[in-house]
Formats: sequence, C-alpha cells, structure tokens
Amino acid sequence: MSIITISRGSSSLGKAVAEKVAAKLGYDIFSRDLLFKTSGRFHVPQKTLEKAIHDAPGIFERYSHTKKVYLAYIRATLTEMVSRGNIVYYGLAGHLLLNKLSNVLKVRITANLEGRVKRKMAEGLSEQKARAMILADDDQRKKWSRKIYNADPNDSSLYDMAVCIDKLSVENAVDCICRCASRKAFESTSDCIRQSKDLSLACNVKASLVESFPDVGVICEYGNLLVYATQKEAHAAKFKKILLDIKKENYDIYNLEVHTGLAAPANAV
Amino acid sequence: MQQLTPDMILVLVMIGLAIFLFIVEWVRVDVVAILMMVCLPLLHLVTPKEAFVGLSSNAVVSIIAVIIIGAGLDKTGMINKLVKPVLAIAGKSSSRIIVAVSFTVALISSFMQNIGAAALFLPAIQRISKLQKIPLSRLLMPVGFSAILGGTITLVGCSPLILLNDLLIPFHLEPFGLFDVTPIGLALVASGILCFIFFGRFILPQGDVTENQENEHTCALDSSSNLGTEDKCFYELTTSDDFMDYRDTVRVSTLHQRYLVSIIALTEPPDSKTLSPSPDTEIRSGVDLVVWGKKTDVERMAVEEEMQLKDTIECYGEELEDANSGIVEAVISPRSQFTGRSLGVNNFNDRFRVSPLVIHRQEDVYRAKLDDIILQTGDVISFYGTWKRLEVLHQEGGLLFSMPSDLEDMRPEKALWAGGWLVLSLVMIMGFNIQLSVALMTGALGMVLTRVLSIDEAYQSVDWRTIFLLAGLIPLGIATEKTGTAAWIAGSILQIIGDVQPIVLLTVIGILSTLFTLVISNVGATVLLVPLVVNMALAAHTDPRMAALVVGLATSNSFVLPTHQVNALYMGPGRYRTIDFIKAGSLISVIFLVVMIAMIYLFYGV
Repeated sequence: MSIITISRGSSSLGKAVAEKVAAKLGYDIFSRDLLFKTSGRFHVPQKTLEKAIHDAPGIFERYSHTKKVYLAYIRATLTEMVSRGNIVYYGLAGHLLLNKLSNVLKVRITANLEGRVKRKMAEGLSEQKARAMILADDDQRKKWSRKIYNADPNDSSLYDMAVCIDKLSVENAVDCICRCASRKAFESTSDCIRQSKDLSLACNVKASLVESFPDVGVICEYGNLLVYATQKEAHAAKFKKILLDIKKENYDIYNLEVHTGLAAPANAV
Repeated sequence: MQQLTPDMILVLVMIGLAIFLFIVEWVRVDVVAILMMVCLPLLHLVTPKEAFVGLSSNAVVSIIAVIIIGAGLDKTGMINKLVKPVLAIAGKSSSRIIVAVSFTVALISSFMQNIGAAALFLPAIQRISKLQKIPLSRLLMPVGFSAILGGTITLVGCSPLILLNDLLIPFHLEPFGLFDVTPIGLALVASGILCFIFFGRFILPQGDVTENQENEHTCALDSSSNLGTEDKCFYELTTSDDFMDYRDTVRVSTLHQRYLVSIIALTEPPDSKTLSPSPDTEIRSGVDLVVWGKKTDVERMAVEEEMQLKDTIECYGEELEDANSGIVEAVISPRSQFTGRSLGVNNFNDRFRVSPLVIHRQEDVYRAKLDDIILQTGDVISFYGTWKRLEVLHQEGGLLFSMPSDLEDMRPEKALWAGGWLVLSLVMIMGFNIQLSVALMTGALGMVLTRVLSIDEAYQSVDWRTIFLLAGLIPLGIATEKTGTAAWIAGSILQIIGDVQPIVLLTVIGILSTLFTLVISNVGATVLLVPLVVNMALAAHTDPRMAALVVGLATSNSFVLPTHQVNALYMGPGRYRTIDFIKAGSLISVIFLVVMIAMIYLFYGV
C-alpha cells in the first residue's frame, strides 16, 4: 500500500519509468488527472491550476494569494487521491506536496541535457528550440520550488532515490524503484494510513478556508483537528461558519479547535 | 485666543504620540508613560524636577498605600468571611444574590483597586455559582461592573479619582474630600445593579446554554457528582499483558495527543501508584490507569489501544475520593508570573505534580496541544491533583482558585488589626483633615508593623505598572498646562461649539471622557483631559471643579469593550464574548452618563 512519487525534468523518460513501475507493481497511476479532478471539484480552469503548480509566482502574484489558494486545492485533491495507497504519481511537486507522509517513496529521475535535447528534437523541434524549451522549463520549476517551498528540485536530500537514466535503461530504473518500494520503510502500516487520512483531512480543511483566510495553518493528529489563526480571523463569522460546516460534514473529526496568537508549527499545512 | 507656539506644537506632538502608542500598544502603557517622563525634560517642556514630581505625588503615594491596605485585608481573609453573611442575607434568589454580592464588591472596591476587589471575589462568586446553581455568566458581569462602579464611591476608589486633586493643584482649585463623590458613586452603583435586575435577562448571556456547550466539550468538572455515574469523566482502564510487545513506546503525552484524555493516575511496575504522572512516563503492560476526558474519546482509546475499560473506579477509589483529591478551576490573575509563558514552559505537571486538564479562554475551550498555549490574564485552567499539591500550587501565587477556603494561606487572627488600621486611616482623613497620602500610608505602615503582612509582601503587592503609568503621565499634564496647550485646545473647541449651557458642556465632557477611556487607559485619559476641561469650563463660565470631576468619574465608564482590567479578568471565567460586553456595556454606559450628570446637577447645582 505504498505511494511512489516520480519527479523528473521534461524529456527525462520519467513518464515511461512511472508507467512501467505502476504496471509491474499493479498500482494505479496518475499525473494530469490530478489537475482534472481538482478543476472539477473546485471549479477552477485546468490551465490556471497548471500555471499555479508549474510557473514561479510573478511580481503581482507574490502579493496576492491566488497561487496559495490553487496549491491548497491541488494538495487537497492529491492527498485524497493517494490516501487509498498503491499509487504512482508522476508529475509536478509530488515529493513536496506529500512530504509529510512517511511511506512515500520519492524518486527523482535525471538525465543529461544532451540526451534530453535529442528526445525533445524527436518531437520535430530544432535543436536550438528544444534546448531553449528544456532550459526554460527547468528554470521555471527551480524558481517555483524555491519560491513556494524554499527548496531546490535538484537537491537530492528531497528524495529517497535519484536515478540517472543515462547509463541505466528504463527497465533497470523500474527494477530499482520496485525493489526499493517493497522495503519495510515504505510499507503502509496502520500508522501510515492514519497519517495519510490526517493529512488529507488537514489539506481539505485548509482548502475550505484558504480563499478567505490564506494564512491559517492546519494540522490534524489522530483525527483531532487544530486550526492556527489570528484573533481577527478566528472571530470572523465566515470563519466560524466554515468550521461548523466542516465539523458537520466530517464524522472523522473527533475534536476541532482554533488556537490564536500562536505561530503555526512547521508540520501545519 | 493665544497663538500656537513651538512649545505648544511639541506638546501636541507628544500627546499625539502618547495616544497613538496607547492605541497601537507597540509598548506597554507604563512604558509609554516612562517615555513621556524622559522625553518631556529633554525637549525642555518641563524641568527635570517636574518630570519626576509624579513619583512623589500625593496620588502615587496614595495608590501605593491603598494597594498595601487592600493586600492586608486580603491576607486576613476578611473578604472571604463576608461571603457567608452576604449569602445568608441574599438567600437563593439570583436577583438578591446579584444585589448583595454586587453591592458588597462595590463597597470593597471603593477602598481598594477595582481589579483587586474583582480578583478577590472571583473564587467566592465561583463557589456561589456552584452552590446555588446559578450560571457564572449571570453573576460575573454584574459583579465586575459593580467593582468598576464601586471605584467612584470614594476618592480613593480608582486611580483617576486619586489623581484628580493633584491635577487641580496648578489651577489653585479647592481639592475634593474623600466622600465628596459618595452620593454620585452610590447612585451609579445602584443604577448599575438595578439595570441588571430589570434588564439582566435581555442583556446577559443565556448562561445555561453556555454551560451545556462546555460540558459537551469538557465533561463536568465536579468530580464528586460525576464519579460512578453514566456521564462520568474519570475512567479506569487496564492495559493488556502484551501492550508493549508490538507497538512503539506509548507515553502519557502520547495518549493525550491521540485521544485528548489526561492520565491522572498510573500504576508503575511493580505496584507503585502515581498520581498526575509526568508526560514522559511510559505506559507499560498490564497496568491500571485513570484518565479524565470525554467518554467517546476514552472509549476510542480503549478500542484502539486494546485496553480494558472498567465499569467503575476500582484500584484508585481511595485516591480519587473527594477528601484526597479533586479538580479545581484556577484563573490566571492580573500580573501573574504565569502570563506570557506557555503552559509547557510553566511546567505545572513536573513542578507541582498536578495535571492541567483543559483551558478556557473567553468562549473557547482548549484541549489539544495545551503545552503550546501562551497563558493570558483571565484564562481558566482546570487542574486535577491532590489537595496537598494543589495547595502548594496555590501558595505559589498568580492563580485565583475556586477551592475550599481552609486551603488558603490566611491570617484570620490579624483581621481586627487590618480593619482597625483601615478605620484609623479613614478617621485621619475625615476627622483630622490629614492629607490622603499621609493618612493611607499610616494605615499601610500599621499593617506591616502589626504583621498583618510582611514588608516584602507589601512591596510585592504594589502594582508598579500603575505607579509608573500615573507618575509618568503627570509631567505630560504639567507640560500641557504650563505651555498653554490646554488653554489653546479648550479655546479652539469652545470656538467650534459656541456658547453652551453648563449641563450640555458637562455632558459633552462626559461623552468625550468615556470615548477616551475606551481607547486609552483611564489614567491617561484623566491626565490629558483634566487640564483641558478645566480651561474649557473657565472659558465657558462653568464650575471647573465639576468639569474635572466629570472626567474623573467618566473615565470609569469603561463597559462597552473588555478593555478594562476587571472585564478582561472576568471574560474567561464567565465565558463571555465581546458582543456580550457590547450589549450590556452600552446600556450601562448610557445609564452611567445620565445618572452622573443628573447627580452632579442635583447635588452641586451646576
């Protein structure tokens, strides 16, 4: 019941690896379906969501909360989709959006630039254009990671495993990943399932609040939900109503409290 | 009218700065006052001597003495002793209880600081509420408001009135006597209490609803009434024999984090019973434990952790008997050493071996991550512990307990001395016309000499924030007057409003003072407004003493928001919301203004 996230640069054969890993392990696989589902659930155009998860925040976006809102929506959908386990997610930011779960095998597929350019050229692009596109894409992702999570996507400490595809074949990489996924550390214990449920609950609550209250922090431990807000936010009628509705709709919440005057802890979403 | 001079502009800037800092609270109000004390002589707006004259002023010395006398009365338990006769007179009717308790608090408040009287009576009111089954929310607000109103009965009842005579000195106006304000103060107290009697059901929160909500969250706190019943809150469980075999270490804190239950007793192998175990204590196989919490949470824990939930308390029956241990609600008192620090840092469990169960703050109930919560004045913490340990915690100070009075460290044998010194001070003021500060300090000294309280206890009881707030703002008043700024502002305002009747002018001053006291401290409002209104009254040919008196009284008209110290203290235990204060406070504020102006008109013939 483990979860595998595969992060890759464009034209790094990440998709091929992910599909083969899923087929070999009999796991479900998804990537863009995440944006499709999020779009349907929160009524936001897929294009907007894609921009939110791909492009670094622009000058004006740094002062507005739109990116924060869309990311919260995407994360809420993702955590819900992975909560049933046996999932391979390849795509943007999986390793960061699911970083609070312990049974996630976070894989990074890398390839040298020349190889990537060649694969891109196979799509009928000139070498110059292919190279420019790959470099621009890498640059956007780096900026996005830095701005949103203060992390460099090339930092290997963010992953459990980094596979360079140049010397290994896709099959070799798949074999490595599958063997790693079967290790005890990535087994879905009852604790992991609870963790996943808690994260999903916290992300969904955050998604409900984020549009009107972008700075609230939410944590969920063993079904006990804790919202960190300012005094002003906590006393707003809308805030209270949203929380009341959440409590009514979610029978899995055992306790819901709002703490004010405290900074949200690092594990809050 | 006088032209605006550079000095006047500087004073206006300083006043603006003080008001701004009072509102935004970047630094504490007493620090703002010290800032004024230092900046004014540096700007040559007052002389160095004038800058510090506040520290030796009649008002400041009087306040120190009043605080010490109040602490002395508190130490002898005299005030607690008042509760029984008051209750006997009041009977069981909630209206009569409100009248009796509120009037008693108002009378006590007329001779000691409002917050002191309110804090002293809080445990007694909690006991009355429990005994007579009257929701605390229906008692606390009337009593709290009466404590504030009681401050207007004598000239030593609240800081603005104590300060008043000092502010009149530059104008060579006749000072007020100790009981000059008494008719007005009594009328204000009476009207406040009557307002709650007649309109209480409309303006006070519906207590029983709040209590039910609270119980839903926290279970009842009275151990005796819940032990062994269906909705009990103490539960005894036994861990399985293989509890430690196939799971990570489970500690006391782990169970609280997971199920929000507090482990209040635990058997440690081989057979040692521990009450209020430390959060780090490991839960072992085959041991008994007693938890406090919601039934649903305890049942969930029993299922998930494979514990056996017993029908009754078996092993810990004796330890949990009322005679040995129990739950108390403790309110964080004003100036408590526990404020501003988290529950975890205060470390009650390890230091006092008592278990904090739940924290109430205004309408919120906190059960999760209690250790992270930064404590504030008025927070109510429910502690479980043996009476002995709770007594040790009580003696540490900083918490107002609702627990049997025989556990409190009182000196009842000194009650006569304490009462005697208070009477002597009053006789000196009224009979021999001795200055307020000298007479009150005599009483305070007498209390120390007759060991009602030690000199260290006397020093500790003094609220230095109030002292520096008063002393620091006095030079601002001097500068306003000396530079002609007060006369200039007064002239400008009068020019705008034109010729008005004295009664209208006093009403305007009353409203102005009320508004000021809602945003800045009552002392700050008094110091800023008295020179101003005296000048306005002189220009409008109205009695300047009455104008000053209106300011002194109306700066106690602080009921609409929970900004007054007394309101802030009672907000947590009463589970009040700001809207409750707005509802009841608005009505009381209007009545206050009407009664005050009417009484000044009737008694002083303005």
